Amino acid sequence: MTNRLVECSVAGLIGVLALSSIAVAQTSQPRQATGQQSATATASTAGAGQAGSEIEGKGQQMPHYKYAGPPGPAPKQDLSGEWGGPLSAAKVDPVPPMTAWGQERFAANKSNQKINVADSNDPLDTCDPLGFPRNALWESRGIAFAKMPDKVVELFQYEKVWREIWTDGRALPKNVGSDIPNSPDPRYYGYSVGHWDGDYTLVVDTVGLDDSTWLDNAGHPHSGDLHVNERYTRVDQHTLEMTVTLDDPKVFTRPWMAGQTTFKWIPEQQFDEQLCIPSHMQDYYKLLANPAAGVGTK
Amino acid sequence: MKTRLVALLLLVGLLTVCAPVFAHHGNVAYDETKIVVVKDAKVTKFMWTNPHCLILFDAADEKGNVVHWAVEGGSPSALAPAGWTRNSVKPGDVVTVYLHQSKAGTPVGRETKIVLADGTELSDR
Repeated sequence: MTNRLVECSVAGLIGVLALSSIAVAQTSQPRQATGQQSATATASTAGAGQAGSEIEGKGQQMPHYKYAGPPGPAPKQDLSGEWGGPLSAAKVDPVPPMTAWGQERFAANKSNQKINVADSNDPLDTCDPLGFPRNALWESRGIAFAKMPDKVVELFQYEKVWREIWTDGRALPKNVGSDIPNSPDPRYYGYSVGHWDGDYTLVVDTVGLDDSTWLDNAGHPHSGDLHVNERYTRVDQHTLEMTVTLDDPKVFTRPWMAGQTTFKWIPEQQFDEQLCIPSHMQDYYKLLANPAAGVGTK
Repeated sequence: MKTRLVALLLLVGLLTVCAPVFAHHGNVAYDETKIVVVKDAKVTKFMWTNPHCLILFDAADEKGNVVHWAVEGGSPSALAPAGWTRNSVKPGDVVTVYLHQSKAGTPVGRETKIVLADGTELSDR
């Protein structure tokens, strides 16, 4: 990934330099055919750091929102509203070394980043729920918070799911998914509690996560022991900063901050509708993924 | 003129190298080292859907036989800021499609840009 970024930067720079030579040649000429205009437009996009592309792990691709004036101060202990984000969080810590158990699970997860979609077993490819924290670290184009008595509800644009963050001081459940009688079931979106650290940061802790879900598109696994800590800091009226820290000793040899995102207040306070539709996914396999891999039928 | 053309080709080549990691799937199945340009592509279906929009079109191969193509693009959330809408392309439209073709050589690919009959460009990078 790093090498690719270097290549892209160099190529982008060369592209800009090449573009300059074209621009100079064209200054005294009337507008040419569309073909040349398009090359100019595309090249300047590349030179400008690929605005309009979506690069995972870079936290980029912020939609451009227009505001009437500068943001006011952050309201106290209030994240309510709809926030726009990039495709994915910016990576912070590198993935730590994994335990033997973790490595075994990782090897079994066949990511579609590395092999044909047709051969991948990413649960996303069958429109299974992303689950948490994968949906906090990726497909983070829209999140919203709403207050209810004793809790804050977080809503996600992707797949139109929500989760409850209890703020009534209750403890996280224990022994989720264990053999102990009456222990709680694991959940795709876990069990979350939150408390305010000062007036502007909501701290959220989550356990009880079903280990069916992947952590990321690369297929890193997590166990049912995963404990996720998030911090949401409202910087000003229009800015919300998120960090996501993972602690899963069954899989990773140390805790790590997996992602960081800056969300911006959406002026229209409206999401897109973004769903994973199983029948459309089946069409995708039939029309694209299988033929692309040279496979006859799924 | 020739210098400009060479620079233009250089740009296209370099931009191809810069293919970003796309949203949902990797593009392992596609040959991203070159762009295939399909002219006179007659659209048969446009699916404005997640996770990837699909464009189905017919185009003649070198022998004049009609080939049924299918290409994927970004999601609506990714394409809308670049000017795409669910009505950008309709069955019957004749367009030019720029794409990375499958390594298997099948008529499927990942489009990077389409150019409509009136010259409008819709980019997908």
